[in-house]
Amino acid sequence: MKKNQLDEMQVQKRNSIGNQAFLLLMYLLMIDAGLYGFGFRWIEYPANIMIMVTVCAGIYLIRLINNHAYVGPSAENKRPVLRFILMVAIACSVAAGISMMLKNASFTNTAQINEMSAPIMFITAAIAIIIALATLLIKRSQ
Amino acid sequence: MGKNLKLKSARAALDMSQKDIADAVGVTRQTINAIENGDYNPTIKLCTAICKVLGKTLNDIFWEDEDDEKKPVG
Repeated sequence: MKKNQLDEMQVQKRNSIGNQAFLLLMYLLMIDAGLYGFGFRWIEYPANIMIMVTVCAGIYLIRLINNHAYVGPSAENKRPVLRFILMVAIACSVAAGISMMLKNASFTNTAQINEMSAPIMFITAAIAIIIALATLLIKRSQ
Repeated sequence: MGKNLKLKSARAALDMSQKDIADAVGVTRQTINAIENGDYNPTIKLCTAICKVLGKTLNDIFWEDEDDEKKPVG
């Protein structure tokens, strides 16, 4: 059996958790659409989708890690210290950057939130790609 | 699905831990633990891999006797 992949039980759990996360996202989108139909708008368009997707992705990730279905058998034996330190540093810098950006933005109405949602989405995607590339490079170097 | 005590006893007879078997067959320790506790029903591929490591047959480890499941009548 290939050790660098998830084993069969992990794959089953991942699929199950993924299905549940997808259904959760679908229900949240339907609720949001229903609320919009009744004339209630909790946050303007791009931000509401971003929040729902982020929440579902976060739940999916946390449940994967909690059920030991995030990394395969071989990865559990490794101790990638350098990667761990780099990830913690990146996470701290991203959290600090976002908090500073939100503090400087000082939203007072929903229009400002709407204006900021596009850059936030762009920055989030860019950071995710940078983290993925950094992880790939470190993995190859190790 | 009940606990797989045969797997546990065969593992103990060889003085192997769950981690040892897991490493030998290429799965996580949690998977072996789930099989022993009856929480997971493994594929035939994993069953044969475990049997090879333990030097047993599929019947020895994974065959459930009907007597174990029958309840006393009367």
